[in-house]
Amino acid sequence: MNVQPILQVTNLHVSYDQIEVLRGVSLSVDHGSIVTLIGANGAGKSTLLRCISGILRPKMGSITFAGAEIGERPAHLIARSGLAHVPEGRRLFAKLTVDENLRMGAFRRNDRRGIDNDREHLLEVFPRLRERFRQVSGTLSGGEQQMVAMARALMSRPRMLLLDEPSMGLSPIMVDFVFETIRKINGEGMTILLVEQNASLALQIATNAYVIENGAISLEGSGVHLMDDPRVREAYLG
Amino acid sequence: MTATNALPERPQRRVRGRVSFTTVISWMLRITIVVTLLASAVSSVLKDRYSIDQWFDLVAFGITIGSVYALIALGYTMVYGVLRLINFAHGEIVMAGSFAGFFVAASLDSTGALNRYPILGFAAMLAIALLVSGGIAVLTERFAYRPFRHAPRLAPLICAIGVSFLLQQSFRGFFGTGLRSYPDPDWLMPPVSIFGFDVPAVQVLVVSSAIVVMVGLYLIVHKTRMGTAMRAVSEDVDVATLMGINVDRVVTFTFALGGAVGGIAGVFYGLVFKQVHFFMGFTPGIKAFGAAVLGGIGNVPGAMIGGIFLGICESVAPALLLDGFGIPAPHQMRDLVAFSLLIAVLIFRPYGIFGERLARRRG
Repeated sequence: MNVQPILQVTNLHVSYDQIEVLRGVSLSVDHGSIVTLIGANGAGKSTLLRCISGILRPKMGSITFAGAEIGERPAHLIARSGLAHVPEGRRLFAKLTVDENLRMGAFRRNDRRGIDNDREHLLEVFPRLRERFRQVSGTLSGGEQQMVAMARALMSRPRMLLLDEPSMGLSPIMVDFVFETIRKINGEGMTILLVEQNASLALQIATNAYVIENGAISLEGSGVHLMDDPRVREAYLG
Repeated sequence: MTATNALPERPQRRVRGRVSFTTVISWMLRITIVVTLLASAVSSVLKDRYSIDQWFDLVAFGITIGSVYALIALGYTMVYGVLRLINFAHGEIVMAGSFAGFFVAASLDSTGALNRYPILGFAAMLAIALLVSGGIAVLTERFAYRPFRHAPRLAPLICAIGVSFLLQQSFRGFFGTGLRSYPDPDWLMPPVSIFGFDVPAVQVLVVSSAIVVMVGLYLIVHKTRMGTAMRAVSEDVDVATLMGINVDRVVTFTFALGGAVGGIAGVFYGLVFKQVHFFMGFTPGIKAFGAAVLGGIGNVPGAMIGGIFLGICESVAPALLLDGFGIPAPHQMRDLVAFSLLIAVLIFRPYGIFGERLARRRG
């Protein structure tokens, strides 16, 4: 096993205009683990993910991925180095079909057979998508769109997956399915950093968890440990 | 929960149900326009001033100039698609292509080569024009638009107008203010017979080449990797980046493609009107922008159809709609028709003819 964490964020500061959104966030994600980041609306969860994948530039601090500093690297090169980001609100290519969205995920790959195999495998993980295969993705339900977004990200054969609020706006059955799938993908060896508002489900599947408040990490520990923490129980598990 | 249920109906609905004063005025305006135009068309046809041959000529010329507008409009619409920027320097990029084609044609003509090798000569004109215009478009983006990529929309727009003047005035400085005549090779002389009507060979050449260019462009946008990346960027820049797409390269490619097609359009425009001038890009540029809006800006097939529609309108409408009023020399009112159409589209249908076809099924 690799001892070094695959993703290491150290003392990250980010500002929008003049307002500081992240003030010195540090976290690390080990190979093969699921790390969860929970926190209230506006605490800086999505900002952190957007910064890791390069859409936002940090003001200060370092981000290393697979041993290389990526804080200054252009976003498309970060994606090519194996970090797949499923953004908040799925953000599918709404005018394209499910199939075209999946192909878009494999944009950087040239191995035709590998792409076809991966797509076949993902259609087994998400059987619903096989029925919707040629449908324009903008017409799918929220849950189906979430499946497309996750499958699209996995089509790039990433080394790590960033998931931003995958359960947002989904029905309870769909939420269960999505979390079940996250666990399954992780079981196949995928490292996952999961940002969630649904703290109880997220903590249940997490190897490790962080709580973010006002742009800074306030608590960290194993998922089980945080679930029993009185402060977390009061603020996020109600 | 009970509070929301207690409200029996939404108040906005009743407001919407009542017809407002502005709506009445706007509809009266529309009806007046349509009735006037119809009356004028009927009177024009009844006067029997134009023969069927003349009508056919007008339509043929409209399709010719319309396909040139369509090519120019494609440059506006593709750039708008990926950057949400209206490249107001595009008309000048077309003018640059026209000049490039002119110089190639003139030098070939002086040795007689243009007459001896028509296909080779025509291809050389297009190739040089395409390279010059594509190159200028790429440089414009790199130095004038890229620094403003994350600035508010107004900044690159003002810069675009500045680039437009810069190009005009540099061409004026280099090549003077006079009109120069495009050479008129022999192979463009004999008219071609279509459905029993004689059509100038230039028009046949321009329309058929424009169709080839448009088909090629459609294939590039829909079948190639770069085209796929273009469509992804135009839908969602951030997510395209997350797919590993290099947005800067896609933007450069889009400007190169739009500029190249604009350069080809410049040569066609020169061949049709037989002259080049440093200010010649302005009017077709603005009209083609109108055509792009007409087809729904950002929509590639829309720009093609919008361009041809505008061309036919401005060619046929003076005879059909204005002659009935007894206006002297209605054909000098072509530009009036084109710009009235542009204003009418912006007022009554700002999203264009195809603007709302967002989600559609595909096989």
